[in-house]
Amino acid sequence: MLIYIVKRIGLAVLIILLAVLALFVMLHSIPGDPVSIALGPRATPEIQAAYAAKMNLDKPLFTQFLIFLGNVLTGDLGTDVFSNRSVAKTLLGQLPYTISLAVASLGWAVALGIPMGCISATKPNGWLDRITGLVSIGTIAVPSFLVSIWAILVFAIHLNIFPVIGAGDQGDLADMALHLVLPSFAVGLGWVGYLARMVRASMLEVMGENYIRSARAFGLTTQTIIYRYALRVAILPTITLIGVGFGGLLSGTVFAEIIFARPGIGKVIYDMVLNRNFPVVQGAVMMTVALYAVVTLASDIIVSILDPRVRESL
Amino acid sequence: MEALLDIHRLSVEFNTARGRVHALRDVSISVPKGKVVGIVGESGSGKSTLVWAVMRLLAGNSIVADGKITFRGEDVLSFDESALREFRGESVSMVFQDPMTSQIPVLDYRRQMTDILYRRKGLSRQEKIRMAARFMNRVGIPDADDRLRHFPHQFSGGMRQRAGIAMALLMDPALLIADEPTTALDVTMEAQIIHLIREAQTDFGATVMVISHNLGLIAELCDKVVVMYAGEVVEQGDVKDIFFNAHHPYTQALLECDPSHDLKQERHFPTIPGDVPDLHGTPKGCVFAQRCRHASDICQYKRPGEYPIAGGHASDAHAARCHRYDPGGVWKELPKSETPKASTRIDVHVERDAPPLLEIKDLRVRFPVMGRVRALASGISDPHVDAVAGVSLAIRTGETLGLVGESGSGKTTLARAVLGLNRVHSGSIRFRKEELVGLPENTYKKMRRDIAMMFQDPVGSLSPRQTVGQLLSEPLIIHGERDLPLRDAAEKLCDMVSLPRNFLSRYPHELSGGQARRVGVARALALSPALVIADEPTAGLDVSVQGEVLNLMIELQALHGLSYLIISHNLPVIRQVSDILAIMYLGRIVEYGACSQVFEKPAHPYSEALVRGTPRPDPSRRRKLVSIEGEVPSLTNRPGGCEFHPRCPYATDRCRKEQPSPTRLVDGRTVLCHFPLAG
Repeated sequence: MLIYIVKRIGLAVLIILLAVLALFVMLHSIPGDPVSIALGPRATPEIQAAYAAKMNLDKPLFTQFLIFLGNVLTGDLGTDVFSNRSVAKTLLGQLPYTISLAVASLGWAVALGIPMGCISATKPNGWLDRITGLVSIGTIAVPSFLVSIWAILVFAIHLNIFPVIGAGDQGDLADMALHLVLPSFAVGLGWVGYLARMVRASMLEVMGENYIRSARAFGLTTQTIIYRYALRVAILPTITLIGVGFGGLLSGTVFAEIIFARPGIGKVIYDMVLNRNFPVVQGAVMMTVALYAVVTLASDIIVSILDPRVRESL
Repeated sequence: MEALLDIHRLSVEFNTARGRVHALRDVSISVPKGKVVGIVGESGSGKSTLVWAVMRLLAGNSIVADGKITFRGEDVLSFDESALREFRGESVSMVFQDPMTSQIPVLDYRRQMTDILYRRKGLSRQEKIRMAARFMNRVGIPDADDRLRHFPHQFSGGMRQRAGIAMALLMDPALLIADEPTTALDVTMEAQIIHLIREAQTDFGATVMVISHNLGLIAELCDKVVVMYAGEVVEQGDVKDIFFNAHHPYTQALLECDPSHDLKQERHFPTIPGDVPDLHGTPKGCVFAQRCRHASDICQYKRPGEYPIAGGHASDAHAARCHRYDPGGVWKELPKSETPKASTRIDVHVERDAPPLLEIKDLRVRFPVMGRVRALASGISDPHVDAVAGVSLAIRTGETLGLVGESGSGKTTLARAVLGLNRVHSGSIRFRKEELVGLPENTYKKMRRDIAMMFQDPVGSLSPRQTVGQLLSEPLIIHGERDLPLRDAAEKLCDMVSLPRNFLSRYPHELSGGQARRVGVARALALSPALVIADEPTAGLDVSVQGEVLNLMIELQALHGLSYLIISHNLPVIRQVSDILAIMYLGRIVEYGACSQVFEKPAHPYSEALVRGTPRPDPSRRRKLVSIEGEVPSLTNRPGGCEFHPRCPYATDRCRKEQPSPTRLVDGRTVLCHFPLAG
């Protein structure tokens, strides 16, 4: 078990390193001289040389990569071109908003999707199954920005239950949670359907397995059979799916942060791309990659805890 | 005698896309308290449907059309949910066919067993765990406390089935149903499990119902036997009546087909011609009429009643559903159109003096068990296991070599090495004097024309998207015979294995097991090879079909002068077809020699265990004890000295310390034992 986790962590580190390399290669294959792009056409050769030396652009490519890598690993993601502030600091300030939004969205998806999947799998092709099937396909099909706008119209404007602008008062947890409800619902809703379908399919498969029939033959209760036996096995592919899908969820937070005017990484990326503030975009991409790697790692570890066979396969 | 379970005129039907299937018709069985009742039948006989009907666990598309199931005087079919839960597990428990798939893989045994004990509300969690451990010990699993934390995949097949029996006994059920309890197991494990079930029956005073197609197991275990065919009970009675005084033509044919009943080497297997009738719609007359050698006119249109047979043993009434025994009937034996009494032994010409067709010398196949880095880190200098550890054998033209061993003995690895599908570590494989080891792939491909393979799983080894015609011409295309009229070639192959030509356009899922096997034989013979390697050629086939396939293989051998390397764990079959026998244990051949000699007087204790371990369809000769204890050790952990010594009943100090070298006996056999039992 320990060996497995250590191996998986090693793999995650490798993925992050490769991402750094890819980012570095991409940056250097952008046509044009980075110095003249950064300083503009009116800079004198002296100023350009000084800038190049300061940014290590005069060194060999490989050395540049090592410096870049070193910086990334020590948490130095460069400085904001406009404000001269540390990119890492700017982003770390935004990170909690994005993570809480992503986790809350996942919460919606899991809280609605998994029970829906279980319900439809217990009586396949029954009326409940058909209804959940329709709802699932609906949630997958409706674009999230529409959900956001409807949610704002219904819950914020007509009913006036939930706040819709910003992330709430710093420090006031209840207010912040209230501000999370609608944006996370908008982001998570698309995932409800996916999870429900996924859980339904794997539940149906598992319910046909011999060991479920043995459990019935041993007279276990339906509750135990469905929620402790079948779900325990059926949930495994779903967890992997959530891990992989987390990337999609992160990109989903971008528009939610824009529509609901929330702070967050997505909002930063959006603003900074418009401003061509490349160091910040770069840093934000790095952070997203790292986040993604960590979530995949977590989902793999959870699966290995739940499924003893996985532990021994690696 | 008091009946614990009484099934009265039960009929079960299934709604399918192709109409209603009458899976069980008018089945009446009573299971007397404290007895072991065996239900015998081939696939499609409805024996599993019967079990699931009793457990009320039939599939959703089933209808209990008629009949009654009474357990201790209560009507099982009218049980509600909570009564059913009490009935299942508390009153009736089950041992399943395949312990690998019938135990949940993600929960350990402690959890699975305490879950079953959920109704013992008075017990604390600790007490439940202690009880589980006690039962694990009881079924012969040592260190139960530790073993309870294991998951099913960490157990070997035999251990899993032991644990399955422990789970079934946990609630002290009045009735234990065992559904093909040894089908997934090896011979020595089978003997142990039979013994365990019998012990459980006497110790716990349980009533047992055993479902099996294995007549040997039924004879060893049961007091009363019920023979089923195509959804009906055709004959039932005391075990001795069924085995020694069978009356129904189907029972007689079934007993005759069982290769283990005949100890002579006949090279011809009795079969039951024809197929199980289609159960869409009710059969009009007797279900067996189409295949019955005694069938008369009346059998075709009138369903026979269950007629008592006089002079039965014990109190279990012996009865058969056959018109011949109708006391008031008008049965007339038809004048028999003399069925050609199959010309018994077919002799195959073996060139005794010619050099062997295939000669294997000191072959070694190894597999890495872990990566180099990990091996270095854990200080293991040689991270390999020898799946095949120095095997030598030879097959001459026209000869059949039977390779026998339990799972993990390396027999399939050996076969794959001959075909160049596994890398050989050392040793030599000579085919027609030509060395195959180290041959580059393009030269090997040419050799494979002459060495054909019949794969283990008859349906699974055929591509589901190709028709039989395509499947049959595929070997020709691969070996560049495109110019041949493929259609003609495929038709010829069909004729050769006696498949109707219109099967050429069918897909594998439309074939029965026996038909798929025929396609496998035809594919192997497409390129007229000299040597055919058959991996478990009859696994998964019913006895009546098994005979057909083996007869076909033997006929083709005589016709084309083929040599066979037949791999099997089915000793009775191997005994009938082989000239030479090689018995493998942990990658080594422990006994090698003429088949008849090995079976008559096994020289290696392991051969003895295998030969004596096969249950015989003879209820008067039940074995008191299991032949050998324990299980096949893991290849990563070979015992020192003689590798068989931990399981050997004759082991001495010398066996524990010194590894034996092959000894040649006077009769020409080679044995890997310090103290050969014969010769």
